[in-house]
Amino acid sequence: MKFKAFLTDNGVALLEKRFLPALDKIDKTCHLYLTRDHAVFLHNLLNGDGLQSVAQFRIEALFDGYRISSQNDDRIAFAIDLSLLHRAIRSSVGICNELATAADGGSASERLQIKLVKKLPANSTQPMPFLTFETKGYKSAVIQDVPISKPMSRAQVSELQAALDSAQALPKTLVQVHDLNQLQSFVDRMRHVGDVLNVSISKHGDLHLQISTTLITLGAEFRNLPVLGERAEAPAEDRGLSAQARSERAVARGDAEAVQVSVKHFAKSLQCHMTRPDCAFYGIEEHSACLTVIFQFFILGTRQTDKSISLHCRLPVLDPGTN
Amino acid sequence: MSSSAMEAEETADLLCQLDNVQGIVDALSAVRWKRHQDAVIEVSEHGIVLIVEDSGCLQAKVYLQRELFIRYDYSARGRPRFGVGLGLFVDCLSTFSVPGHSNIIEIRYPGPDMQLLLKSIDSLNACIYAEIRTRIPETISWDYDFEPAGSSPLSFTVRSAALKEAIDDLEWPGSGVQITLQPAPPSVMFKGEGHGDLQIEFMYYANTDLLVAFHCDHAVSHRYKYKFLRATTSNLPSNVTKDNRGSKLTIGRGGMLKVQHLVSVARSSATHQHNASGYQQPSRIAYVEFFVKPEVDGDDA
Repeated sequence: MKFKAFLTDNGVALLEKRFLPALDKIDKTCHLYLTRDHAVFLHNLLNGDGLQSVAQFRIEALFDGYRISSQNDDRIAFAIDLSLLHRAIRSSVGICNELATAADGGSASERLQIKLVKKLPANSTQPMPFLTFETKGYKSAVIQDVPISKPMSRAQVSELQAALDSAQALPKTLVQVHDLNQLQSFVDRMRHVGDVLNVSISKHGDLHLQISTTLITLGAEFRNLPVLGERAEAPAEDRGLSAQARSERAVARGDAEAVQVSVKHFAKSLQCHMTRPDCAFYGIEEHSACLTVIFQFFILGTRQTDKSISLHCRLPVLDPGTN
Repeated sequence: MSSSAMEAEETADLLCQLDNVQGIVDALSAVRWKRHQDAVIEVSEHGIVLIVEDSGCLQAKVYLQRELFIRYDYSARGRPRFGVGLGLFVDCLSTFSVPGHSNIIEIRYPGPDMQLLLKSIDSLNACIYAEIRTRIPETISWDYDFEPAGSSPLSFTVRSAALKEAIDDLEWPGSGVQITLQPAPPSVMFKGEGHGDLQIEFMYYANTDLLVAFHCDHAVSHRYKYKFLRATTSNLPSNVTKDNRGSKLTIGRGGMLKVQHLVSVARSSATHQHNASGYQQPSRIAYVEFFVKPEVDGDDA
């Protein structure tokens, strides 16, 4: 089992400033799954009830000189502590930058090497797996070891791949939200009020969020959002209604789906905002299986989707009976 | 539907709109001194008053005059009163305040089930709304009637920031704080006694920048529980200290202490316009008042 690559400038920019801080907020540990074409960071795909997130990068988006081999179809997966990984990259970049300025110009690429190693840690008789960051300078090299879990077995990797495949299912209707800031500030404040969030998404492009307790009902409705997938014209008589009545009627007509999710999960999913997506799509999966949020990234300076990066979250739906 | 909406509008006791939610949130936060507080809201043609009370010893009022609202339609007979949880009300209001956005919200009372209804009305495509369940207010012991102690007032005005700092410092001795006013030399003394003792003195002539006004014709001294005194400044919004405002403290009959703060409710855009002297329209101010009863055995020590 071998993995070795150089982290590119673009890879550093993506991971250090954008993705690792955001993913770290979702959960401290995640699985890193490396294949011949992709590097994927996965949260909670194997254990059911947490917020799931999948951040997938094409190898070229992060690495140069990427070499991977394993007896399991060149696939390697392990669990890693994101804050340690983040720290290692940050300090490696710091060192790289210093060296770059010292050795007139040049970039981080070809200098920041990552590889999978097995080492004997201090005070231990058992060799342990690490992800090692090696920053090569003129005369010296700085090596940082980030401890990782034992690489997953063939069976575990196929389980992970199966979970990943099933996590790709798309909701029939997706609504597009551009102003994630507004949504985030709203949900941040809403958090104090209750724990369960009702979310309804309609084919008319309405996104309705509501927290309801015995003392208060607090909601927000975003209307006329662009719709992807199945859409329907909103009946004119619904226009004058309150947000609540409108979404109830749309659900009754079959034009909308409604689910309950945890406010905490919703707020966490909004942390993905730190990855600087250009917009987000919200949808409810078939049979109300989960609330899906897909973030979209454009190629810098264009309105074209950057297909080398993808990020989406799936929020488990709460059983209305249990709360 | 629209006709019934019209009807609801006509039958509402109160329908008002305001354009600076954060200002109102600041003003109401000033009277939050613990986690669960029941507040009573009283609505009249002059505006909205929110009242909170603690252990029969401390009462606080926030006056939101009708001038603070961009629309204020009042059509009730009598003065409707209802109870809400203060924390919930403030948290809910702050949901409407989006930083960097001007937000207009509409408040209506009562809803079909006596709720307090709030909704944002500044955008067609995004709307935030809330329904807060109200309670029948518990009868508050209304013996906070503040009467002057004598023919001339016993009062002083001190910079709010200095007052807050002094009261924060008095935490160390804990327990009770003796406030003494004396005419010669004109000064105010805060004395904390408990684990040790700490005195903080404001001399009128020496600290005119801190002690801005002083009225006292005879020496007076009363003791107050520290936790109540602390409640009067513990949650002062930052704009009060930033604007270098003064807080007025008056001692009334029986040693009842009144603490008054002014909280700016100016729109964020309007703050750039106010002139160099820091003058703001008085209509853009919310008044916050605390009444603290003295400890009984500490009278005229």
